[in-house]
Formats: sequence, structure tokens, C-alpha cells
Amino acid sequence: MPVGPFGIDPVIWAPLRLVIALLLVVGLVFNGALAQIYLERKIQAIIQDRLGPLHTGPWGLLQTFADAIKLLGKEDIRARLTDRWFFLAAPSIVFSPMLASYVVIPFAPGIVGADLNVGLLYLTTLGSMTVLGIVIAGWASNNKYSLIGGLRSAGQLISYEVPQILSLVTVVLVVGTLSMVGIADSQPGLRMNFLVLPLAFVTYFIAGLAETNRAPFDLPEAESELVAGFLTEYSGMRWAIFFLAEYGEVTVVSSIVTTLWFGAWHGPFVEVFPLLGVLWFTLKTYFFVLVFMWIRATLPRLRIDQLMSLCWKVLIPLTLTNLLVTAVLLLVFPTTLVPVAIANWLLLGAFIVALPYFQRRRLVALRERLRTAAA
Amino acid sequence: MAVPLGAFVAVSAVLFFIGTAGVLVRRNAVVILMSVELMLNATNLALVAFSRRYASIDERGSVFVIFIFVVAAAEVAVGLAIVLSAYRNKPTVDVDELRQMRG
Amino acid sequence: MGFLEGAFFAVLTIGIIGAGAGVVLANRITTSALLMAFTFLNVAGMFLLLGAETVAMFQVLIYVGAITVLILYGVMFTPQVPRPYGLFFQTQKFWAALFVVPIAIFVALVAFAFRDTAAVGAKGGDLLPLATSVFRDFAFPFEVASVLLLAAMVGAIVLVKRDDE
Repeated sequence: MPVGPFGIDPVIWAPLRLVIALLLVVGLVFNGALAQIYLERKIQAIIQDRLGPLHTGPWGLLQTFADAIKLLGKEDIRARLTDRWFFLAAPSIVFSPMLASYVVIPFAPGIVGADLNVGLLYLTTLGSMTVLGIVIAGWASNNKYSLIGGLRSAGQLISYEVPQILSLVTVVLVVGTLSMVGIADSQPGLRMNFLVLPLAFVTYFIAGLAETNRAPFDLPEAESELVAGFLTEYSGMRWAIFFLAEYGEVTVVSSIVTTLWFGAWHGPFVEVFPLLGVLWFTLKTYFFVLVFMWIRATLPRLRIDQLMSLCWKVLIPLTLTNLLVTAVLLLVFPTTLVPVAIANWLLLGAFIVALPYFQRRRLVALRERLRTAAA
Repeated sequence: MAVPLGAFVAVSAVLFFIGTAGVLVRRNAVVILMSVELMLNATNLALVAFSRRYASIDERGSVFVIFIFVVAAAEVAVGLAIVLSAYRNKPTVDVDELRQMRG
Repeated sequence: MGFLEGAFFAVLTIGIIGAGAGVVLANRITTSALLMAFTFLNVAGMFLLLGAETVAMFQVLIYVGAITVLILYGVMFTPQVPRPYGLFFQTQKFWAALFVVPIAIFVALVAFAFRDTAAVGAKGGDLLPLATSVFRDFAFPFEVASVLLLAAMVGAIVLVKRDDE
């Protein structure tokens, strides 16, 4: 009779483990969102040379609670001509895939909701279901600005799925498995995938920024554009659900980055205390969340056509080239990863040098054209 | 007791005929496209059921399903492009009214 | 555990048939579109029940994530004057129903004659055999499918371009 962990009968342990994982995940998402809202306001404030929330609680720590209580108490307004069921369903359609993504993320050796064979494909699939919720939200608001914002956002999300998936496929080529636990296990100690595939990391990070509608790609929901885009008609707790979904999605993208490129739960002493892996995982993930917020406070917003041309004309050729080079080098040198690493770092260097160079050339040409047109 | 293969094929057949009825009965071109998608889904279901339950070599039914995904996506894109062009000409998507090739 | 599988199958069947009928019979076209997405999700559930997890993921990714959005775009860009319910259907609806329903019942009954020949659930996941087949035995159709997608993309863009640009 096999005995499960802690001496519990294995037939009970499998669903019990899933229930515990779900409760932990819900707790994680909500508390994580609370922490991130506060961090975002403080970090943006510090970068913008001001102070941020100060008065509610020590260092403004209770500000998020105050905001949550306010949002819960707001009147649930729904414009009369909106499509009732779709308007109400849209926040759930955006929120649920994000919540379901946490099931496959490995927090520590042995602590994972479900070790799916196709874990990475599952995460990609859930990312694409969010698009449907946003289109419905934009359409159900019965508001021209919401509709345009929703359709723009959907176009942006669908376009940026392509470089995202291509970057993930590059990593899978090197690692050899789609399972998240397998990918985490393949990077012991300091042998992180970041050293082998930095360009895939950069392109995935940029595509992830666009996928979560974060600055500098937050045109569809920014407050100064299209009156807040598809979020216009949502107020109170429904708006809060969209926002929770966005912060949860940011955490999911950071978790994926941590697992694929930075060795998930690996860190000092994790062989001795397996639960210490949770600490390393959280630290690494929140480091990337802070990078997300840093980028938001620093970079200006991209216009929709600039955003689209960045995706289709820059990121897709780049990720395709990366994939081609990696695949060819893996075929030619099947035993070692050093050529792949060298090629990737060279491509990354070329990208970093080439992008400003071409931008400057285009800017000069544009100025020439404007000057001759004005003269 | 596991679900027999015939049950999956029966569900696939019923879905296929619901799709056929949709194509034959509805007038809106976009709904006709949706019904065609239902028919394609029914086919996919039958193929995967046979591929997993019959003794097959190498999941060939599922391979065919992958290609059906590709073709279905391409067909919806082009079909909607055609419907939108026709809508621009004459602002209706009613197939009873889009009968003439000119004008 | 067998009972669980049967229960899931029953729930998914009700979902598929109900949502499919809803697509054809619904009053408003947006309801049809969302019921179609629900049908796709249920079919993905069926794939999972059969153990074809990769195909199920692709089903959701392609159908719910992309094709449903395309159809919703199509619905939004072709608004129509609402009309009485009877005019939704073609003039030949009686003959269509007469043609379809008996054949459907007959085929569904015949379908039960198929029997499993492989041991149910003995084959493991379908990721590895699928990948091996697609990239080795069917590599040429795979490339042709990519060209097909390219042609469809270019064709769709060309068809929708306005003539005055």
C-alpha cells in the first residue's frame, strides 16, 4: 500500500494537494497584488522625485487596504444600454486564465500544482484566452472609445503572442522539454539558461510587457488615452478585478522568466532545505516585477502604429533568426551549448547596437523630409 | 467503465449535423461561417477519438487534426475578409440579398 | 474512477450539443459567437478526456484565442438592423430540417457500432508521437501548411484593403 507524503493516503493526497495549491494561489495572487500596488506607487514616486503614499499607516503601507475598502464600497454602476451579461462576464474572462496559470509554476522542488507534460504550452494557451475577455469588455461597454480601445488591445495582444511563443520555443529547443518542472530541473546551480539564451530573454521580456498591457505598451488602458480605453465603463470592484488580473499577469510573466532563464527555485542551500526554494523563487520573481515597474516609470508610451511596427518589423524577424540560428547550431554541435551561447550573445549585442542606429537614421530622414516639406 | 469509442463518434456526428443545419438554415453569412467551424470541430473530435482509441501508428489522426486547425484558421480569415468586402459594397450580410455578382 | 470519466463525458456532451444548438438558433449574433467559443472549450475538454493534451491546448489556443476573436471582429464590423426572428432562417428551413434530422439520428446510431481496439488510456501522452510524426513523416505537408497560412494572410489583407488608398 503506497503511502503518500505526511502519511496521507495517496488517493486523498492528489485532490487535497490541488485544493491546497488553489488556496495558496488565491492567497498569493491577492496578497501579491496588494504588495505590488503599494510597491508600484512608491517606486514610481521615488523615480519621479516625489514621495508617494505617506499618511495611511507607517510609510503609507495601509494605503492599498484603504483603496480596497473604497473600491468595495463603490456603487456598482452599469450604463443602461450595455449588454448586461457580457458586461458582467468580461472581468471574469480576463481574470480566470491568469489564476489558472499558477497551477504549473514550480515554486520549490516538489511544490507544484500539477506537473503537466505540456506546461509551457498551457501557459501560452491561457495567455491567449485573455484576448477574448478584453474584446468582450470593449464591445459590451457600448461606448465608441471602449470599443476602439478593446480592439486595439486585442490586436496588440495577438501580435505580441508571436515573438513570445518563438522565444519560448527557442528555450524549449535547448532544454528539450515543455514541462515547467523539467525546465527548472535542467538549470542546476549557476548554469542558468540566461547565460545560454539572453536574446530570447530580452525578446520575451519585451513581448511580455506588451502582453500584460504594461508601459510602454499601455496605450489601450492608459488614463490619458481614449479615456482609459476598454476600462472606461468599469468602476468599483469590476475595475479592481481587471487590475488584479493585470498584476497577476505581471507576476505570471515574471515567474515564467524566472523559471525559464534564471533557474526557478535554485539558490544557495536549497538542497538541504527544499522549502528554501520558495524564498529564492519569490525573490527572483519580484526582482523582475520591480523591473517592470521601473520600466513603467521611466519610458514614454508607444503609439499604436509604433507598437505594431516594433512587433512585426523588429521582434518577429529577430526571434525567427534567433530560432533558426539556435536550431542550426544545435544540429551541428549536438553535444555542447557553447556555440549557441556565443551566437546568442553576438545577436543580442547586434540588436542593442543596431536598434538605436537605425532609429537615428530614420529620425534624420524624417527631419529632412519635414524640412523640405515645410520649405 | 470507460467511455466507449462509439459515444465520442456519436457526439461528433451530432455536432457535425448541427453545423450542417446551421449552414443550410441561417441567413447571416457570419453565422454560416460559425457553423462551418462547428463542423470542423466535429471532424477533429472524431479523428482524435479514433487516433487515441484505435490501434493507430504514431497518432496520425492527431497529426491530421493539426493540419485541420491550420486550414480552419486560414479559411475563417479569408472568409471574413470576403464578407467584409461584400458588406462594404452593399451594407448587408444576408446571403439571400447578396445573390448578384455585380452591383 | 471510471464513473468520473463517464460523468465528465456526460457534462461535456451536454455542453457541446447545447452550445452547438445555441449557435444555430440564437437570437443575437454575439450570443452565437460566444456559445461557439464555449463549444470549442468543451471540445477541448473532450480531447483532454481522450488523453490528447497537446491537441487540446492547440484547440484552445487557435480556436478560442484566435478564431473566436476573428469572428467577433467580423460581427462587430457588420452591424445589421435587428429583424423578427422568423426572418433569420432561409426560406427552405423546413426542407433542410427534414433532410438533416433523420440522417443525423441514423448516423449517430451507427456510430455506436465502433469499438475500441486499443486498451483505453494505455498510450501515455500524445506530445512525443505527435511531434515526431509532424516533423518527420509529415514534414512536407507542414511546410505546405505554412505557405497556405502565408497566402491566406496576404489574401485577407488584400481583400480588405480599401480601393482609394
